[in-house]
Amino acid sequence: MEHTALKNELKTHIIQYLNLKIEPEEIKDDQPLFGEGLGLDSIDSIELIVLLDRNYGIKIEDPKEGRKILVDVNTMVDYIEKNRKK
Amino acid sequence: MLYIYQTSCISPQPFPLAINNFNTDITVAHHGIMVVEPDYADIPVNILRRMGKAVRMGVGAALPIIAAHRNIDGIVIGTANGSMEDSIKFLNQIVDYKEGMLTPTNFVQSTPNAVAAQLALLSENKLYNTTHVHRGLAFENALLDVMMLCADQPQSQFLLGGLDEISTYNHAIEYLGGWYKSDSIDTNKLYQSTSVGTIAGEGASMFLVGQNPSGAIAKVSAILSLHAEDMGEVADGLSRFLIANDIDPNAIDTLILGENGDIRFQHFYQNVARAFPLSNQLRYKHLCGEYTTASSFALSLASLLINCENVPSHLYKDNGKAKGTINNILLYNTFKGLQHSFIYVQSANDMAINAT
Amino acid sequence: MSRIFVTGIGIVSPLGMGVLPNLNGLGMGLCGISTMQHTMSKYAEELPFGEVKIATDALCDLLQVNCKGVSRTSLLSLMAFREAILQSNVSTAQLQQHDTALIGATTVGGMCLIDELYENANKLSNNTDYIASYDASSVTLYLQNKYKIGGIINTFNTACSSSANAIMYGARLIKHGLANRAIVGGADSLSKFTINGFNALRIFSKQICTPFDANRMGLNLAEGAAYLVLEGEGTVGDKEILAELSGFSNTNDSFHPTALSAQGDGPFLAMQKALAIASLKPADIDFINTHGTGTENNDLAESVAMKRVFDSVPSFASTKSNTGHTLGAASAIEAVFSIFNIVHQELYPHLHFSKAIPETALIPVQTFQKRFIKHVMSNSFGFGGNCSSLIFSKV
Repeated sequence: MEHTALKNELKTHIIQYLNLKIEPEEIKDDQPLFGEGLGLDSIDSIELIVLLDRNYGIKIEDPKEGRKILVDVNTMVDYIEKNRKK
Repeated sequence: MLYIYQTSCISPQPFPLAINNFNTDITVAHHGIMVVEPDYADIPVNILRRMGKAVRMGVGAALPIIAAHRNIDGIVIGTANGSMEDSIKFLNQIVDYKEGMLTPTNFVQSTPNAVAAQLALLSENKLYNTTHVHRGLAFENALLDVMMLCADQPQSQFLLGGLDEISTYNHAIEYLGGWYKSDSIDTNKLYQSTSVGTIAGEGASMFLVGQNPSGAIAKVSAILSLHAEDMGEVADGLSRFLIANDIDPNAIDTLILGENGDIRFQHFYQNVARAFPLSNQLRYKHLCGEYTTASSFALSLASLLINCENVPSHLYKDNGKAKGTINNILLYNTFKGLQHSFIYVQSANDMAINAT
Repeated sequence: MSRIFVTGIGIVSPLGMGVLPNLNGLGMGLCGISTMQHTMSKYAEELPFGEVKIATDALCDLLQVNCKGVSRTSLLSLMAFREAILQSNVSTAQLQQHDTALIGATTVGGMCLIDELYENANKLSNNTDYIASYDASSVTLYLQNKYKIGGIINTFNTACSSSANAIMYGARLIKHGLANRAIVGGADSLSKFTINGFNALRIFSKQICTPFDANRMGLNLAEGAAYLVLEGEGTVGDKEILAELSGFSNTNDSFHPTALSAQGDGPFLAMQKALAIASLKPADIDFINTHGTGTENNDLAESVAMKRVFDSVPSFASTKSNTGHTLGAASAIEAVFSIFNIVHQELYPHLHFSKAIPETALIPVQTFQKRFIKHVMSNSFGFGGNCSSLIFSKV
């Protein structure tokens, strides 16, 4: 999939999994997901790990590893492109 | 005994609940009658997005009270099922994904104490916090819990609440059990129905309560809950209740009955009403539908009716009695003819009671 | 207000069915956590569980009851209830009196019936055998209906502290004259629902749990049931008193839906208030049966809170190292274990411990000890920040 299309698809998944009441365009590619950015927390990080598993076949066993991947949309897309199984 | 200072009720009726603003002709959608949800502007969006309806309406109904009273001394909730929707969504994930990698939010939200817990979080309250889940008597046990707390801590104020939701899932289970009518009738025809089953309802009723009469709108003087299958046992329970609390049956000007249009339970209500030939009889389940904690809606209604001059006629089961000011109300409700409760609600103003 | 005495106990846990196997199991330092055989789950082979080692059908036969529409949780509950009323010698007539309360607690309730619930909730089946058996109250209502218990009946679900709150409520009913005796406790069975829920939250240990150990990896889920017969001063007569319930408290940590605060505010307040109700000083506590689940978060927060309450932390252990975490049954099961400490004047070894948590350096009791025990505190903390402490005392 083309890079931009993947970003948009991922944003749609993020909104769906986290039940965010915003439009995909409102999530900036480099906006931090946690803390001050989107304001997500530890339970959300598990939701995102499940998102990666169900949609891209990516398994992250260690939540600490997840911290490095779940920084922003850019870091997630980079990881998906390199590691996706589906 | 406890005094009620403030109520807040999210129900199928317009929010906030008001005596002069009832919707008495609600078309019953196939799942029953649903709550009219406010916009929940006071719930932070990052918390709101995770909440299922039960948690949302519970927290939403309670927020106006806890926002105005930051220093409450405990939070006591009655809910038979909490967020049933989240429970079954999680269950469906287990089956659909064959116990694979699952998202935890539904599981976290499915615990019935999610409402009381979220309220503690939002109000930074570190005191007593509990959740009663005893089906049709979940709210009654919460009420009794708070009455004991008030007796022990006369200077304290507590948040008391009752809530339950209709989800697609619990509707499916209850419908299969034969508890809802198979024919779709609108709420204004509920009591004329001669079939079995009722209409599903839902709601969240919250109360600020305490032991100090100052500023109170009503008081709950006594409560009795019991498990019984036959009328004789209920009648025996009623006698015990009146004697133990020294209640003169003739002082009760108003009965609020939980009639729900299911002919199987009508004899319980008729039999209780027979003990109070002088009382007016009111009904309310055409306003909120039937649910496990519907008696919390009845208590909200009773709090509004105390000292009310213009009681809308649709509330009356017309038995030809003169309709005067309401001072002493007995609530009687049965859930499925197995769980029963009597709650005695009186004017908070002692002068008014003496006058009756 | 009346003092509250315990005159009967009944228990089913991964250590065994009944008081004796549990007492012996604790004394011998046995661990009931192993692979799961009687509840179907993908994780049965992968993860250790604290299972009551009997199939549901066999449990029905053993109890000689009709199994139709009855969940495993209700059966475990019945077994513990029977033992408690037998020991306290509560008659059938007394059970039916209006002054006998029954206060239960569960988190899973009938949701161990996963397949039946899935079919009914999603309209895939018209089978109605279990439709009244899914909710939490079905467990209490099963006992109420079986024995026609005549007083106040209630069910709590405050997650892992549920049965502590049931015990507390029963005691308060007696103190307020709303009951003369209260049979209080809780039950939970292993279920795909909770197994997958805790797994999704990633708080399971793949090995047998090691509460309060520096290298703890999480908890093991378990099942069981326990009930206590509580009686007031006016009712107890010349019955043998096992212990007094002298203190109790519930507070909220008000920090996070599934985790305790670093300072352990909720646990701290629960312990402190329970001491105040019992009119005891921290130094009066001889032993603490901790919540001690084996998760990174709980054991550290509980350790911090204990150090805040006690100048010198008393002897403590987590019996979850023997049983795993029985959720809604845990507080009642651990109340029974605390009563063992008092009745037999002994402490039991905490298992699987090797190295203290560096931040708090607390070391649990790891040997069997005969010792004078007057006051035992039992802690339970649940999701939603729900924190309860009970204190049992020797009479």
